[in-house]
Amino acid sequence: MFNEIKKRIVEMSPAKTAEAHCDGPCGVYDPASARIAAEAVHSMTKKIVALEVPSSDDPKAMAAYHNTLSRYISIKEEQAHIAKTELLVLWTDYFKPVHLEQFADLHDVFWNAAKLCSSVKVEVSVEHCEELMQAIEKIHNMFWQTKNRDVAFYLAG
Amino acid sequence: MTPLKSSTWLETLFLGIGYLERYLVAGDSMTPTLSPGDEVAVDHRGTVVEGDIVVMRHPFKTDIVVIKRLDHIEDSGEFYLLSDNPVGSSDSRGFGAVPRKHFLGKAVARICND
Repeated sequence: MFNEIKKRIVEMSPAKTAEAHCDGPCGVYDPASARIAAEAVHSMTKKIVALEVPSSDDPKAMAAYHNTLSRYISIKEEQAHIAKTELLVLWTDYFKPVHLEQFADLHDVFWNAAKLCSSVKVEVSVEHCEELMQAIEKIHNMFWQTKNRDVAFYLAG
Repeated sequence: MTPLKSSTWLETLFLGIGYLERYLVAGDSMTPTLSPGDEVAVDHRGTVVEGDIVVMRHPFKTDIVVIKRLDHIEDSGEFYLLSDNPVGSSDSRGFGAVPRKHFLGKAVARICND
């Protein structure tokens, strides 16, 4: 009976949640998430550049053009933001001061990659998309070196 | 690593009158001291010392509240937090020391209804 009373009293205080981890399953990180998002941005950028503008006297074709262009832009915006978020999580949560001793340019590499995510979101630049992929490849190599594993960088597209 | 004592009638009473707050632990970075699903009584008053288990807002994601052990207080007054289970955990080794203003309280007991 006393235990029941204690339980009732305790439950008068609403329980809040305190995280003993920060990003879901502890220790599960992989630059692949950023790479996939960046690849999607690269692909959408190339499609936007290649999209042909139809004749202005063809309203049906013009409507289809605007629809397709809007979808490409929407996906590009969304995936660029995802790529940046994934990189920031890796930078701030996975990498630790000991890794900075291993890679003196770690902050510069991430800063540059995050800035490129913003660029490819705002612009339609295949060149910056390629630079972003190169930056993510560098991060991929750093990440797997910290785990003493030889994991080759590859592209899905 | 100091274990957290189990709650007594005193903490129960303090929870009931709102003097202490109840927090549910999510995640396993504080094992073996605290397991996922454990509940702790948290006091947001008083002082903290090195070795205390503290509840703080995450320095970059302020909508997230974390529970970690206070390793030490830096000269700047910021709290350097570590997990009891260091394997793959996110703590001050990754996100750095946490400003004192993010402090929400210290865990004073693991809630036990036995």
